[in-house]
Amino acid sequence: MTKRSASVLSLLILAGPTSTACAGDLAFGQYLSGECVTCHRLDGQDKGIPAIVGWPADQFVAVLQAYKAKDRANPVMQTIAGRMSNEDMAALAAYFESLKPK
Amino acid sequence: MKITRRNFIGSSTATLGTLVLGAPAVLGQAKSRVVVIGGGPGGATAAKYIAKDAKGAIEVTLVEPAKQFVTCFHSNLYVGGLKTLENISFGYDKLASAYGIKLNHQAAASIDRDKKEVKLADGSVLGYDRLVVSPGIDLKYDSVPGWGQEHEEALPHAWKAGPQTEILKKRLDAVPDGGVIVMIAPPNPYRCPPGPYERVSMMAHALKAAGKKTAKIVIIDPKETFSKQGLFQEGWEKHYPGMVEWFSPKIHDGLKSVDPKTNTVVTGFETYKNAALVNVIPAQMAGKIARDAGLANETGFCPIDPASMKSAKDANIYVIGDASIAGDMPKSAFSANSQAKVAALMVRGDLTGAQTFPARYTNTCWSMIETDDTVKVGGRYEAKDGKIAAVETFISKTGETADLRKQTQEENVGWYAGITADVFS
Repeated sequence: MTKRSASVLSLLILAGPTSTACAGDLAFGQYLSGECVTCHRLDGQDKGIPAIVGWPADQFVAVLQAYKAKDRANPVMQTIAGRMSNEDMAALAAYFESLKPK
Repeated sequence: MKITRRNFIGSSTATLGTLVLGAPAVLGQAKSRVVVIGGGPGGATAAKYIAKDAKGAIEVTLVEPAKQFVTCFHSNLYVGGLKTLENISFGYDKLASAYGIKLNHQAAASIDRDKKEVKLADGSVLGYDRLVVSPGIDLKYDSVPGWGQEHEEALPHAWKAGPQTEILKKRLDAVPDGGVIVMIAPPNPYRCPPGPYERVSMMAHALKAAGKKTAKIVIIDPKETFSKQGLFQEGWEKHYPGMVEWFSPKIHDGLKSVDPKTNTVVTGFETYKNAALVNVIPAQMAGKIARDAGLANETGFCPIDPASMKSAKDANIYVIGDASIAGDMPKSAFSANSQAKVAALMVRGDLTGAQTFPARYTNTCWSMIETDDTVKVGGRYEAKDGKIAAVETFISKTGETADLRKQTQEENVGWYAGITADVFS
């Protein structure tokens, strides 16, 4: 792959929206993330509330599924995850995975 | 600038993006303009998210007279001696430097909805394509018999954080052992439903910490029940036995009068003479600027479209935060921040054709009862049947372990750091 086609491809991926179930849509994920960043800090600080930037997407989804199933205890997160579809979770996971702790 | 291949690809894509996204509303005009009135957790969040996500396509002006914002949330912790005023004060510099938001440190005097202009205190005028109104609450100074604005230094409300909060803390610290504090609690709807009761907890904490264990706090409430009632009453019993008495209208038989000269509070049931401190939290309504512009209805608050936070009275205006009628959502900083993000998305949808998604709202309110004993209530909300409706809610339970309460306090501290970073940086 040439440098140019790599750039174009990455732009296509960024531009979305993609509707495949496993590759989360970044634009949608960014919108949904507004709800997360009221508490979870983008600078990666984790005092009192865990940092979630840069997490691997599969781990991110697994944790949300655990809250949705009420296997994890925190009621705030149970409520937030409770309304998420698989697509929502994939989008959020893709978005947060794409971020680097500042 | 040396044009490399990467730069060239990047900039041509940016241009293409602008063309594709450009909506008819902005044709023939260099940039669309958004004015945001109010720099609290609603307005500052809206300004930030519009400016950040529009990436220069929208000119955003934030109109807020104060250069330093003192958060109402956690101001009870300042009253309790657990935080300094500095800990709860924030400037707007980062919003200007990081996102290009224009700061205008004046009060908004009036809104001309026909001309789509905001007039400022100095007479200058800001035109807008979309206006976000987030003025918070005004106090109904005529709602407590005998008490008015001229008495707010003697009998502080401290329901807008800042100098009032400092007065309240000074008065509290001067209360002698054996002194009686009377709180006049507000009727619904008001800013921060658990706020008065967290304040009582923090007052009791300060009294107890100062060794004034025979001081007493009496709450004269116009409501039969209040937010997190069981949790607060359990906590008061546990941490401050004999120090807090709460009376509903059935018990106190109505607030008859307050006398600021003698610090006397008269109810149908009892007269409290020479109180060491009277904290009057009156009834509330949307900020004047919103009411004057005809954005409020007969309730004194502003009806909105629950799917967008757009004013029900004007399609070019969004009303967010405490001034809005947000259905099942309480008036809280968290709610305002959540509503601001929905409004920001819809504003970008209106002006730049940005892709919009169905509104989702969230709220959690933490309340501190005593050091390491904090409770929370919250939920998620969606537009349903013409209002913002609760879809699922939760609340801390009585009898929770000390470990869990301590963890909830840590979460409260983490949330405060998170939301203030989200709003002001």
